[in-house]
Amino acid sequence: MPGMTRRDFLKIAVLAGTAPSLLAACAGSDDKHEVNFFNWSTYIAKDTLPRFSLETGIVVNYSVFSDEEEMFAKLRSGALGYDLIVATDYMIPRLKALNLIDPYPAGALKNTGNIDAKFRNTPYDPDNAYTVPYLWGTTGIGFNKKHISKRPASWWDLWDPKYKGKISMLDNARDCVGIALLMKGYPQTAESDAAFKAVEDLLISQKPLLKQYSSATYVDSLINGEVYLAMAWSGDVIQAARENPELDYVIPKEGSYIWVDNMCLVKGSRHRADTLRLVDYLIEGKVAAEIANFVRYGSPNAAAKPYLDKILLDDPRVFPPPEVLKRLQFYAILPPDLAQTWIDTWSDVKAA
Amino acid sequence: MLGKLKKFRAWLFSGKSEKASHLLILPASFWLAFFLVIPIVLLLILSLAQRGPYGTIIWHHPTLDNFRRVFTPLYIPIVARTLLYCGTAAVICLLLGYPTAYFLSFYAGEWRDTFLILLMIPFWTSALVSIYSWIIILGRGGLMNSVLTGTGLLRTPLDVLNTPFSVILGLVYFYLPFMILPLYSSLEKIPKQYMEASYDLGAGALQTFLKVTLPLSLPGVFAGFILTFVPCLGDFLTAEFLGGPRTYLIGNLIENQFLMAQDWPFGAALTAVLLCAMLVGLYYYQKLEAAETAA
Repeated sequence: MPGMTRRDFLKIAVLAGTAPSLLAACAGSDDKHEVNFFNWSTYIAKDTLPRFSLETGIVVNYSVFSDEEEMFAKLRSGALGYDLIVATDYMIPRLKALNLIDPYPAGALKNTGNIDAKFRNTPYDPDNAYTVPYLWGTTGIGFNKKHISKRPASWWDLWDPKYKGKISMLDNARDCVGIALLMKGYPQTAESDAAFKAVEDLLISQKPLLKQYSSATYVDSLINGEVYLAMAWSGDVIQAARENPELDYVIPKEGSYIWVDNMCLVKGSRHRADTLRLVDYLIEGKVAAEIANFVRYGSPNAAAKPYLDKILLDDPRVFPPPEVLKRLQFYAILPPDLAQTWIDTWSDVKAA
Repeated sequence: MLGKLKKFRAWLFSGKSEKASHLLILPASFWLAFFLVIPIVLLLILSLAQRGPYGTIIWHHPTLDNFRRVFTPLYIPIVARTLLYCGTAAVICLLLGYPTAYFLSFYAGEWRDTFLILLMIPFWTSALVSIYSWIIILGRGGLMNSVLTGTGLLRTPLDVLNTPFSVILGLVYFYLPFMILPLYSSLEKIPKQYMEASYDLGAGALQTFLKVTLPLSLPGVFAGFILTFVPCLGDFLTAEFLGGPRTYLIGNLIENQFLMAQDWPFGAALTAVLLCAMLVGLYYYQKLEAAETAA
């Protein structure tokens, strides 16, 4: 784009951050350097994308989701022109099976060496072909200390009638069914009808105590006292706790799950070169560290470590100590039928 | 050339030639075919398909299973709740809408057009923006509670968000204009002389209203009720954002089949049944209205 000043780029970049839909609307023509990036809400540092645009001249049309199934449904219905998505580990086999993501071209990324070996050759992507890990975190309980005298320690605290009407649960099958299985002492891969009946009953018995199912607004609800306790994702609460010190996060004693979110290339995307450039940028040690410092999730990036805030590195809620890690498990890769049973169970809970 | 064009125009708009009228409704017919008929046919075909692994669609074993599933007891409470909420919302719309329409027709005078435009303004904002505004107004630290606790009327804030109350309030807010407009148009049509005659013959204000105005405005009441109740049945945004875990409506159930459960065939079957129910309702409404005008 000749004749464009750095200032103009900055303007465009800022616009990209504030009015993604506006720019997405003119995403038709393809000689433009741009990337349509679909990510979780509150999942990037404020100036990451503007700076990328400034350095490269590539405009990033950034849009967010708070419900991964909804992201999946949008992707499946096609036609939206996303180039890059962030998807959780358990979602990868499904995206692959339905042919919705492309493998990374061999040697296209310079910086993949930055990724911690622990997050490579994973069960959901054994050859590191389809995924580049972005951030990882845990599912636990967020709470507001102003309203709760005793720190929650167990998942059962979310079933405590004392907090009737002041409890929020994440709005997705993976977390709710997963935790309910754990509470009932079943393994994550349980297949029996009895297991799913128990899960369904447990989750339905909680409904009269619930204020809401929410994956997007629950942090606001915690802050303003709308709810006292919420099933939560670690970083969501910890990043809000910077400005609202009464918020806190805990991993319950029964244990929980670790999940890894990954950057994936959308099938047939029209801005492949620019997208690869963005992915490579996001896994530069310094950039990855800035993102982690801002959103307070764990970074799977080894090169980011020297740049991470000490307060983040020392935070046991972000990097759990060994005795807590023992209680955490990765999401299992479920066969399609079983994955469907999880979703159907959850569907019935919501309809009950 | 020009003469030919003039002749053609005269023929087209004469209202005498059948061919000309067919030509005139062609654009509208295309519109209906592409955006109504074809989608509904596709929906019906989809409702006979089956769900495969990972939410794929299996077309080649048509089945009625999806329809059987619609009528399982699991969904009865959702249907009952939807009818209750939508019925309540429509009745509240009527109670609020009738005086408004009455005022617009008989008392608004030269301000009438201004008021009618004001009534339409909420339609210019996106539904999502309106819903988020309601969240801000109704929330625990929101406008309503600040006023109530600030003025000392209440000591602890009311928890109205995520309750049936907030859902019905949202529905009333969105559909009230659909009640007021048909009421207004039917009240407008009543000749003023009828009321004057009633007064001349010694009836009071109340008697005139009950015996003259109200019966003459009944078509508007029915139309308003249908126009608020029927779209309410398919609403899912309001319950999704203003509701809680136990305000799940048919619209949410359908939305979830497409987005969360990845069961498009079942979602299509639910939609088909809902559409049928609405059509039956509309059919009886039309019969009723026809009887009304004949009488």
